[in-house]
Amino acid sequence: MIIALGFSMAIMISIPAGITANQESTLNLTENLGNTITQTEATINQTLIQIDCSLSPSMEGFGFAPPNMGRSDFAPPGSGFAPGQFGNGTGMPGAFGGGAFSRGGTSAMNETLYDDIGSIESVAAVVPSLQVSQGTNQTVEMFGRSFTRLVPDYVIEGIPLTSSLVDSYPILPANITAGRNLQAGDSGVVLLSENNTAFFEAEVGDTIDILGQSFEVIGIHGSSGVEDVTTLYVNLSDAQSLTNNIGYITSVTVFADSSDVVTEVAKAISSLHPELLVVTGQQRLDQLEVMKTNYETALENAELTLTQTQSIAVQEIIVAVAATSLIVLFVMLYTVRERTKEIGTLKAIGFSNWTVMSQFMLEGVLLSLIAGVVGIAIASIAAPALSELLLPAVNQGTFGRGFTSVANSGTIASITLTPQLALIAVGAAVLLGTLGSIYPAWRTSRTRPAEAMRYE
Amino acid sequence: MSEAVLKLENLSKSYSLGKRNVQALSNLNLQVNKGEFVAIMGPSGSGKTTLLNVLGCLDKPTGGKVLLGEVDITKLPEKKLCKIRSSKIGFVFQTFNLLSYLNARENVELPMEVTKKSKSEKRQRASELLEMVGLSGREEHRPQRLSAGEQQRVAIARALANDPAIILADEPTGNLDTKNKYEIVTLLANLNINRGTTIIMVTHDSQMASQTERLIFLNDGKITKEKQGRHLAKKKLTCPYCGSRTQLGDAICPSCKKRL
Repeated sequence: MIIALGFSMAIMISIPAGITANQESTLNLTENLGNTITQTEATINQTLIQIDCSLSPSMEGFGFAPPNMGRSDFAPPGSGFAPGQFGNGTGMPGAFGGGAFSRGGTSAMNETLYDDIGSIESVAAVVPSLQVSQGTNQTVEMFGRSFTRLVPDYVIEGIPLTSSLVDSYPILPANITAGRNLQAGDSGVVLLSENNTAFFEAEVGDTIDILGQSFEVIGIHGSSGVEDVTTLYVNLSDAQSLTNNIGYITSVTVFADSSDVVTEVAKAISSLHPELLVVTGQQRLDQLEVMKTNYETALENAELTLTQTQSIAVQEIIVAVAATSLIVLFVMLYTVRERTKEIGTLKAIGFSNWTVMSQFMLEGVLLSLIAGVVGIAIASIAAPALSELLLPAVNQGTFGRGFTSVANSGTIASITLTPQLALIAVGAAVLLGTLGSIYPAWRTSRTRPAEAMRYE
Repeated sequence: MSEAVLKLENLSKSYSLGKRNVQALSNLNLQVNKGEFVAIMGPSGSGKTTLLNVLGCLDKPTGGKVLLGEVDITKLPEKKLCKIRSSKIGFVFQTFNLLSYLNARENVELPMEVTKKSKSEKRQRASELLEMVGLSGREEHRPQRLSAGEQQRVAIARALANDPAIILADEPTGNLDTKNKYEIVTLLANLNINRGTTIIMVTHDSQMASQTERLIFLNDGKITKEKQGRHLAKKKLTCPYCGSRTQLGDAICPSCKKRL
């Protein structure tokens, strides 16, 4: 009977525990989505006059790849939106995916080939850049063949550090969290991402080794895009010599005089270099708008789910409280009934009403305490399973797998049983146990010994 | 004139059973003196148990007085009754009513929980009492590991825990076989002789009743007859095996040589 009581209370407690935990995850998700929308909006404002040009992405080992050209598995520059990312036709899913095969890498091109872009009318600036991923090679078996893929450690991004470009155009990351940003004329220095600091074990002012060459850490930038950026920035010439890519670049960013002429400039670039993939600010803007709308819808859903979860949680808690009290009440009533003779005996041999009553109360409280502890033990195991069973929308429906990677939470709405929650649950169990024992104990004390003795 | 420990004056008790009003006891007058061993006999429903419950402060009468010494217990509040039950009265029940989750010693210690005795004192007293009822060495046994006779012995030891003046026994031999019946009654008789404890025993077993010194017959809530039993003052008892006379305190029957 004690076990039955414990188990039923355990279930009662674990349900609200699971729901409350879920609610917390939803809150986190909502917050992350909110941040992502803000970032997307910031990016939209920056990109109106920007045109990105690059070669079509190539699959490693099939396309043209110069020496030491790694696959770029991470999003290039500060904005977090690589030309390749939009060019590969996967659109949003590409941005959400985290897999190494989800995005094509950018192919290298000879920088001198694109000098003529600068002479196109209304072009304000041409910014060539080189992006190379560095990491560890890993062999994977797929379709019976083995492929080598790069597990990236960091991405080297070379930016031409001339004052005419750096001072006038948003080509460097804007979110500097320590030290200073790169500036015109810098060489032999590196701007690390926050996410690189652990890998290099370095802070501002330290000297780090990149591919055998020493660089001083001049500053650290925070992740400015929606991705987990591991890009470090150096001077373009440094990047080219470092990666043995002298004379090569991976993309050209073109800035037009104004947003009105962007379409014409893009057309001109395309006709001049049909091999290039040209993405205008407007196109990117559209993509971003779609993305933003998607985020907003998701945010609404998340908030709706949160509201639903809360109301479910409240309902569940009320049901749990009522059910638990009733269970304790009935169990205690049953106990008292079952032990009427014992009560009579105790009274006959001189126990006072108060002694008998307090003994039964104590028993109820102790039972509830044990049940509460057992409940927490079961809840910590059963809560995830239970809440998944009860709230499939939270874990599967509204938030697809993609979303969590956007939200940077890493896992789908995780369930945690905090110590505070456990304490509250045990406290509630004891309180309910006490409440449930009051009436039976009172009835015990009212029973006349002779009646109790007659009871078989 | 002997000292009265218990005196009933016009005692009545009625209760309603559905729509029917049952007169369990009507205008009883009775005096029990100190050191008496009294048997109350009567058929089922004659009011024996009701009388015992009223005497034991377990039930309130609807009329009359119950004088315990000089005190009329019918006027006392529950708290005082509780105190009387614990200090002046010991109960022995037909079904023993031992607590199954306590061992023999703990059951005997139970009534002492409401006294101010120390733990070691309680333990000491419980061991003494269990030895007295012939259960030394079985202190740690739970009731379910004891025979019915042994359980009743534990119950008698428990009734004696607070050294009461009166023992009220409600069919103490009702659930026992012949051998154990005699043993229990002998035990009670011993207590009565050696310790001077007043014993009032309800029974419908005339053989057991005849072992006491005074028999009171109850029918329809009234005393119909009173009779002297085999006077224990003569210290004569009957062997349960051969029926010959034995002396109180004999361990072995002098004629059949069986252990009593």
